[in-house]
Amino acid sequence: MSVLIDIILAILAVYLALQSLLAPRLTQSVFLFFAFGLALALAWIRLGAVDVAITEAAIAAGFLGVLFLDALRDFSPRGSEKKENLEAVQNALPKNNTKSLLLPGMALMLGLGLFLLIALEAVWKIPDGGGLTAAAEALLPESGVEHPVTAVLLNFRAYDTWLEIGVILLGLLAVFAVGGIKIYRKPVMATQDPLLRQVILFFTPVLFLFGAFLLYIGKTGPGGAFQAAVLWGAIGILLHLGGRPVFSMIPRWLGQLLLTIGLGFFLILGFLFIAGGATLFEYPPAHAGVLILIVETMAAISIAAALTAIFANLNQMNEGPNEIESTN
Amino acid sequence: METYQIYTLTSAVLFVIGIGGIFASKHFIKKIIATMIMGGGVFLTFVSLAERDALAFADPVPHALVITGIVVAVASAAFALALARRIYQLTGEESFTDDK
Amino acid sequence: MTDLPTSPFPALLVGLPILLATLSLFFSARVKALVGLTGCLLTAGLALIAFFEVTQRGTVIHILGGWEPPLGILLRMDSLAAVFIAMTAVVGFFISLYAWRYFRAQAATTGGFPLFWPLWLFLWAGLNGLFLSNDLFNLFVTIEVIGICAVALAVLSGKTGALFAGLRYLLAAIAGSMAYLFGVALLYGSTGTLDLGLLGQVLEPGTTTTFSLLVITLGLMIKMAGFPFHFWLPPAHSSALAPVSALLSALVVKGAFYILLRLWMEVFGVSITYAAGQLIGLAGAVAVIWGSWQAFMQTSLKLIVAHSSVAQLGYLLMIFPLLILAPGVTADSAEWLSPTWTAGVYQVIAHAFAKASFFLSAGLIIMALGHDRIESLRDLVGNMRITAMAISIAGVSLIGLPPSGGFMAKWMLLKGIFMSGQWWWAPVVLAGSLLTAGYVFMLLRLAFAPAREIGTFRPVPKSLEVLALLLALGSFLIVLPADYLIQFLESSEVFGSGIESILKGGAYGND
Repeated sequence: MSVLIDIILAILAVYLALQSLLAPRLTQSVFLFFAFGLALALAWIRLGAVDVAITEAAIAAGFLGVLFLDALRDFSPRGSEKKENLEAVQNALPKNNTKSLLLPGMALMLGLGLFLLIALEAVWKIPDGGGLTAAAEALLPESGVEHPVTAVLLNFRAYDTWLEIGVILLGLLAVFAVGGIKIYRKPVMATQDPLLRQVILFFTPVLFLFGAFLLYIGKTGPGGAFQAAVLWGAIGILLHLGGRPVFSMIPRWLGQLLLTIGLGFFLILGFLFIAGGATLFEYPPAHAGVLILIVETMAAISIAAALTAIFANLNQMNEGPNEIESTN
Repeated sequence: METYQIYTLTSAVLFVIGIGGIFASKHFIKKIIATMIMGGGVFLTFVSLAERDALAFADPVPHALVITGIVVAVASAAFALALARRIYQLTGEESFTDDK
Repeated sequence: MTDLPTSPFPALLVGLPILLATLSLFFSARVKALVGLTGCLLTAGLALIAFFEVTQRGTVIHILGGWEPPLGILLRMDSLAAVFIAMTAVVGFFISLYAWRYFRAQAATTGGFPLFWPLWLFLWAGLNGLFLSNDLFNLFVTIEVIGICAVALAVLSGKTGALFAGLRYLLAAIAGSMAYLFGVALLYGSTGTLDLGLLGQVLEPGTTTTFSLLVITLGLMIKMAGFPFHFWLPPAHSSALAPVSALLSALVVKGAFYILLRLWMEVFGVSITYAAGQLIGLAGAVAVIWGSWQAFMQTSLKLIVAHSSVAQLGYLLMIFPLLILAPGVTADSAEWLSPTWTAGVYQVIAHAFAKASFFLSAGLIIMALGHDRIESLRDLVGNMRITAMAISIAGVSLIGLPPSGGFMAKWMLLKGIFMSGQWWWAPVVLAGSLLTAGYVFMLLRLAFAPAREIGTFRPVPKSLEVLALLLALGSFLIVLPADYLIQFLESSEVFGSGIESILKGGAYGND
């Protein structure tokens, strides 16, 4: 019975992936991709990876889905439906009347099919390396936290996590690079929609508390900085949509501090450890638990700020340049 | 067939669908979605093999790697989306027109 | 491996540039450039100190968090990593100085591109991290850092062409790193470790290993623009700002090559066959001919230089078939390994210097002319003497005429080719040099030709011309310490060894 659930879930994921690429309309594509993300999240719950499931649902499906939906404001109204239909047909069926597409299409299909067969054989015959479960279990008591995934993320492989916090900040810098720096201080009128106002009023504290809860629970169970960060980031996005962009309500230096504190604090802490004769990110064992909680909080603040800023910048990207005040 | 094998096979299929999507899709957004599907396949490989290696709990290292990987992939996708929107604003193009 | 001497330098080499990049975000455009430049100088200095530390103490490591592999991550700075880090430091130093002056000269119209500095520092940290990394997944994170920085820098000008090229570059980079990561997932599943050293010891031959080798190699080939995945490189490199083009072609593409080299040498020994080597060599050979021919056919300077990168990277792929040892041959008896290795390392360094100089000169020509169509290069010698000199010198190194670093690379490659008996690669090296000579002399002929009209060249800062010239001279000067450098490199476990898996039929490096 349980195998049946897995098979259905697997087929569903493949179906949704295919459909999101083949759907004739962009809107459908985006919603199917969103559904695909949720199917993957279910798969991960089935596989016992609750942390991954929360992250997937929150960031990959949730945050990215919101970015895609926001992008549709740009693309769908002007991109005519007819054009999209034609394009989808050409993608899906090489037998379309345009003969020039037939041969490359066939070759691509053939190549991919062959590649798929080899890939399937490779994953089918994969030897059992045993993983690092035992090693992680043995060293877990020394890590300062009780949840193994948090221990790996914030202690055993803290270096990767630190670089990853850097990658999110880089994502924001890269978005700046595309459109120039302009997220700060855009004068936006507060929303007139009373319903949206109520929603924001209700959700802001709820999201904040739930995020804080996820952050704290990360010590002992599924949850942690990234999951909390997305919830806090959601506050920023809601406020932005409600006409209260966070970055224009706070002083500039504070915004920059929020964006960089996760990366900077973690690094300076690491440098202090080096100065004390240890290696980068080598917590003193007695204080590991407390330090990890502080690092996680800082990281969550920065990630939330970066996600908010990425959304805000993308959201305003294509509103005429005269509306946007450059600060640099 | 073990449970994890259902998902490892699925992961290979998703990976290949993603590759095909990057080549065959025209619209920028669909190409970006295709990279995320490709990534989804890769992450599924990690997580399903972690379930195979479970003792008291599933192997936490791949879980941590996947969380890192998802965040990195989303950051890249957001950047790609920014580029796509900017290109559309400046030129009205939704796909590579000078395509090979 | 964990009994090697530890040193804080590997951690500082990654941490310091990121700290300064973060710091620079707090300041306004003008101060940002100053903080950024200071950061670049400090990073370059630190890298050179670390280089000398390795020459004194040998390979040093840094066990991050105090957790030893396989659970933890280890940074390793051996002589190969040290040479790549030092190369990045020297080339990066000159490009940083150039960038500072170049952006300041144009600040009135462009705003001076303040974002260049944090992005470049992040990129530098990513490159250092990549050269030091000893962990498959950490390598993925570093190539993502490098990829995002590289594309963000490439689109900094905001021009439509750069945006198109940047998106294509980004999609190729994401696809490449996802393919790489798929291989990593399979390798982790089959061995339970991500550490390169441990992996090399426990990896068994089999379908899964071969497939991982395939996807990882393909992914990295996309990242280093190896033929036939070079399509993204010419538009992206030619449409970027001058200092950025120099960074992308001199340093960024070398990162993927470095991983490929490490993985083929240290990890994949068990599944690499003679045919696999020939195949990747063939891709390199086609790239040399195709890239040089395409460069010859272009009519704008930056596109010539960008296509030339495709060709020059092809030479790097051509060393792989020579590194694979036939059954019955040991690394000690295969005397062509040393010249082949020298060829590879010198090709990387000489290309970094020459190509950086070429792109910086191209930037000056655009600054002077407003465009870079080559028919306007007439009488370059009369108007921009130093730049003309830089282009000639860098061009000579690209062709491989003595006594340049490029000559050293090609000469050693030919030596390795003939000594190993794989003579069929030799005509490719020669043809590549001839075609390169074709487009370089085409440029020089125009540069020396008398002008048709007078006064089209606007004046450019002399200091910028000198910086480009110094880099070009660097591609010659690197020949001087050759003996010392090779001796130093031979202290690395990788350098001078070959892939002898077929002989042993078992775990590589574990007899």
